[in-house]
Amino acid sequence: MPSKFRQMATGLICLLLLLPILAGLVGTLLPAFQYFPPLGEEDFSLTAWQSLFAQPEFFASLKLTLITGIVSPMLALWLALALLAWCYGKPFFRTIENLLAPILAIPHAAIAIGLVFLLSPSGWLVRLFSPWLTGFDRPPNWISVQDPYGLSLILALVIKEMPYLLFVMLACMNSIRAGDTLQACQTLGYGRFTAWRKVLIPQLYPLIRLPLFIVISFSLTVVDLALIIGPNTPSTLAVTLFRWFNDPALTMRFNASAGAVLLMLVIILVLAGWEVSHRILSKLTRAERSDGKRHGMTDSLLTCGAALACMCLGLAVWALLILPLWSLTKRWRFPDALPSQWTLDNLERAAPLLMELTQNTLFIALVSTLFACLISLVMLEIKRSAQTTSKHTKHHAFDSLIYVPILLPQIGFLFGLHVLLIHLDWNGSLSAVTALHLLYVLPYVYLTLKNPYLAYPQAYLEQANRLNQRSLQNYLCIKLAMLKPALFTAFAIGFAVSIAQYLPTLIAGEGRYSTLTTEAVTRAASGDRKQVGSMALLQTLFPIIVFWLAMTLPPRWSKWRLILKTRCKATFQSVISLLRKRTSRA
Amino acid sequence: MIKSVVATSLTSAILLFSQSVPAQSEPTHWPDTLQQAKGQTVYFNAWGGADNINNYIQWAADRIQDDYQVTLKHVKLTDTADAVNRVLAEKAAGKDQQGSIDLIWINGENFRAMKDNQLLFGPFSQSLPNYQNYVDENARQSLTQDFGTPVEGMESPWGMAQVIFMYDTANLSNPPKSMAQLLAHARANPGRITYPEPPQFLGSTFLKQALYELSPYRKALAQPVDQVDFEKITAPLWTYLDQLHQVAWRSGQTFPSSSEEMMRLLDDQEIDIALSFDISAASVQIDQGNLAETVRSYVFTGGTIGNTHFLAIPYNSSATAGAQVVANFLLSPEAQIRKQTPTVWGDLSVLAYHKLSSADQQKFDDLPRGIATLTIEELGQTLPEPHSSWVGALETEWRKRYAN
Repeated sequence: MPSKFRQMATGLICLLLLLPILAGLVGTLLPAFQYFPPLGEEDFSLTAWQSLFAQPEFFASLKLTLITGIVSPMLALWLALALLAWCYGKPFFRTIENLLAPILAIPHAAIAIGLVFLLSPSGWLVRLFSPWLTGFDRPPNWISVQDPYGLSLILALVIKEMPYLLFVMLACMNSIRAGDTLQACQTLGYGRFTAWRKVLIPQLYPLIRLPLFIVISFSLTVVDLALIIGPNTPSTLAVTLFRWFNDPALTMRFNASAGAVLLMLVIILVLAGWEVSHRILSKLTRAERSDGKRHGMTDSLLTCGAALACMCLGLAVWALLILPLWSLTKRWRFPDALPSQWTLDNLERAAPLLMELTQNTLFIALVSTLFACLISLVMLEIKRSAQTTSKHTKHHAFDSLIYVPILLPQIGFLFGLHVLLIHLDWNGSLSAVTALHLLYVLPYVYLTLKNPYLAYPQAYLEQANRLNQRSLQNYLCIKLAMLKPALFTAFAIGFAVSIAQYLPTLIAGEGRYSTLTTEAVTRAASGDRKQVGSMALLQTLFPIIVFWLAMTLPPRWSKWRLILKTRCKATFQSVISLLRKRTSRA
Repeated sequence: MIKSVVATSLTSAILLFSQSVPAQSEPTHWPDTLQQAKGQTVYFNAWGGADNINNYIQWAADRIQDDYQVTLKHVKLTDTADAVNRVLAEKAAGKDQQGSIDLIWINGENFRAMKDNQLLFGPFSQSLPNYQNYVDENARQSLTQDFGTPVEGMESPWGMAQVIFMYDTANLSNPPKSMAQLLAHARANPGRITYPEPPQFLGSTFLKQALYELSPYRKALAQPVDQVDFEKITAPLWTYLDQLHQVAWRSGQTFPSSSEEMMRLLDDQEIDIALSFDISAASVQIDQGNLAETVRSYVFTGGTIGNTHFLAIPYNSSATAGAQVVANFLLSPEAQIRKQTPTVWGDLSVLAYHKLSSADQQKFDDLPRGIATLTIEELGQTLPEPHSSWVGALETEWRKRYAN
C-alpha cells in the first residue's frame, strides 16, 4: 500500500471517529461547567461541581462503584485464567467452550433478571428446598440480592465478564503456542498450574490487556445490569448519573454532566492504577518465576479459582434456564418448585412484534458489524505495513482514539452526540442508529482482531505473492482464510455488542426504531418475568446462532468448501459429459 | 336590551381573553384542523411497559387512521423524562420545527419542566370539541391544576388515577387502612411491608400520602415548598419512616423499583401489600395469571391521593393539527368508555357524567367491573396532589436520609 494513501485513509477514519467523540465530549463538558444555552445558562462556573460534591449520595455511589468496578474485573480475570489453566487442552474443555457462546450472547439485563430470580428469597433456589427442607411457607426476609455491599452485582458482573475474557484468551492461544509450551514445561517437570503461572500467563497478559481494560471500564459504567441487580440506596455512580440525567428537574443535568466527567477521570485513574500494580506485581514475582521450582504455594490460587469459575458457569446456565421456563409459565407461585400452570400465551403475545423488531435488529447489527470488520482490516493492514517498513513501531492515533467511545460513560457522551445528530438533521433514522452502533461495535471488533492479525506470520502471504502475483486474491484466499477463526470471533463479538446496545439505539433512533433489546428493556421495566423471559429468549436467539457459527464454521470451513467444490465439479463434469454425448449423438 | 348588553360584554370579555393568550392559539376552526391533519403522522411518546395499554393505543391508532386519515405511531418510552430530554436536546440544537415528538403522555413534574422551559405548543385543549362538550373543569381540581401547576390549556386530560392498595385475602384478612395501622402491621410482621423507591413516582406518592396523614399542616402542601417551613411540616414523616424501615422488607436497605415489581413480590408472598396508581391493576394482573384469584384492592379510610394524566404537544411538533385530532379523539366518549373497560385498561374517565348523552351514560353504567376493582363510591375521597415542587423536595430529602 502506498504510504500517501495509507496516511489519507488513517486520517479519514480518525476524523470519522473523532468527530462524534468530540461532539459527545463537548456536549458533556460544557454543561459540567454550567454552560447550556437551552436552559438559559451561558456563563461558565463551577456550580455544578460544588453541587455534585454536596450531594450526599455522590460519595456513597462513588465508593460502591469503585468496589464493584474493581473487584469484579479482578475476580473475572482470576477465574478466567484459573479455568483456562486447569482445563486447556483437556477433552471436556470443549463443553465449557460451547457454553461460552450462549453466555456471551445473552443480554446483560436478561442474565441479571435470571440471577435475581434464582437467588432472591422467593427465588428458585429457595423454592426448590421449601417448605420440605427449610420450613419456609413464605419467603424469608433475606437480603440475598441487591445487597448494600453490591455482592450480587459483583457476581452478575463476574458471570458476564469471565466468559468474555475466556473467549478472548482462547483467541490468543495460537499466538502464544500454549499447547507446545505446556508440553515442554511439563516435560521439564513443571506442574500444570506452575507452568501457566510462570510461563504462559505472563505471555498471555499483554495480549488480553486491552479487552481487560474494556471490562474494567464496563464494570465501572454499566447501567442496565446495575439497575436490576445492584443496590439502589445508594446505586452505583453510573445509575445515579442516569437518574440525574432523566430527572424532571432539568437543572440536575448539570450535576449529571459534572458526574460524567468525574466518572471518566475515575476510569482513567483506575486503569492507570491497574497498570501500575501489574508492573509492580510482575517485578515482585520475577525472581519467583525463574527460581526453577517445579511447584508453588500460589498454584492453589488457580485450583481454587477453577472451582469457583465452574460454579459461576453453572450459575449462569441455571439462570439462563429460567428464561424459557418463565416464557411458558402461566402461574408459578412460591413455594412451588415448578410452574403450576403452563401456557403459550406469552410467546403468542410477543410474536406479532417479532417480525418488525427482528428486521431492525438484524439490519443494524449486520451492517454495523460488517463495516466494523472492513474498517478494522484496513486499519490493521495499515498498521502492519507501517510496522514492517519502519523499524521502530509507530504508535497510531487510531489506537488511542478507538478506546474513547467505550471508555466514556455512555450517558454523558450520547447526549452531546444527540445534539450533533439533530444539527445534521440525521436524527431518528435507521442509518444514524447503524452509524452510532458502528461507533461502539468498531472498538470491540478492532481490539478482538488486532492481536491475531498482527501476529499473523506474513511469510505465508509473501510466499503466495511470489508464486502468484494477484495480491488481492492472495490476501483474501490465503491471509484472511487463515485468519478465519479470529475474523469470525470478531464478527460474533461485534454482532453481540450491537444486539445489546440500548442507549445508542434509543438516542439515535429517537425511539422510532425499536430493536429486540429496546423492547426487552422497556418490558423489563414492567417487572413481569413472563414477558421479560419471552423477549429475552428471542433477543438471545440471534447472537447465539452467530456465536455458534463462529465456533463451528472455521474448523470445518475447508472441509465443507472442498466437499461443495468437488460435488459441484463432479456435477458440472457430468453435465458437460451428458451434453457432449447428446451433441455427439446429434 | 339587557340581553344585548350582556352579549356585548361577554363578547368583549372573550375578545379580551383571546388577545391575552399567545398568538399561537388564534381561534382555529376545527374543520380546518381536521383538514390540515389529513395525512399527517403523529409520533405519540407514551410509556410502553404494559401490554393492555399498548393494545389500547393501537386500537386508537387504527380508529384514527380510518376516521381522520391521521397515522398514529406509538413510541414506547420507559420513562416520560426521556421524551422531555429529547425535546430539550432538539431545542439545544436549534431544531424549532419538525421535532421528533408530536404528542406526549405526561403529568406532574415533567409537565412543569416543559411548561417552565417553554417547550410546549398551545394552549390548545380548551378548543378541542370533545373538551368543550364533555369535560367539566369544576369536577376535579386536578383537571386544571396538574400537581399545582396551572394547566392553562397546555395539555389535554386523558385519564384519572388514584392510589389503591392490594392484598391477598388468603394471607391477610384485615388489611391496614391508615399509615398508623400500616406501621403496626409491619411491626407485627417484620419484612412484609415496603413501598417503591423514590423518585419512582409511586414511591414519591407514598411519601405524599404519608405526609397528608401524618402532618398536622395539610394546607401548606398546596403551596410551593419554598414558601413553607419544610422541616417542620415533614418532621413527622421522617420519624414515621425511621420506624417503618426498621421492620420493613429487606430491613429498608432496598426498595422495589415500581408498582409492577411490588405486584410480583406480592405474588411471591414476600410482601403483604402492594400499591398501584391504576385502579384496575389487580383485576388485570389476575386475568393475566400474575396475581392470585384471592387478591383484592382497597383504599385507606382517610382517602388516597389521586391525579389526572394528560396529553401535551411539544412546541416543535411537526404535526400539531394531527396531534390535536388525536387528543380530541382520545377524549371522545367512545374512546373513554373503551379505556375504562376493565379488561381493556380500566382507567377512570375524565369526562363529566352529567354532560354525556343518556346513551353514553348507559354505556358507562353498563361497564363490567373487574373482580378486584373498586367502584367509584368504594374509591372514596380523593386527596389532591400537593404542589409539584413538593415532589422534588421530598425525593431529595428522602435520598439524603436513606440512600447513602
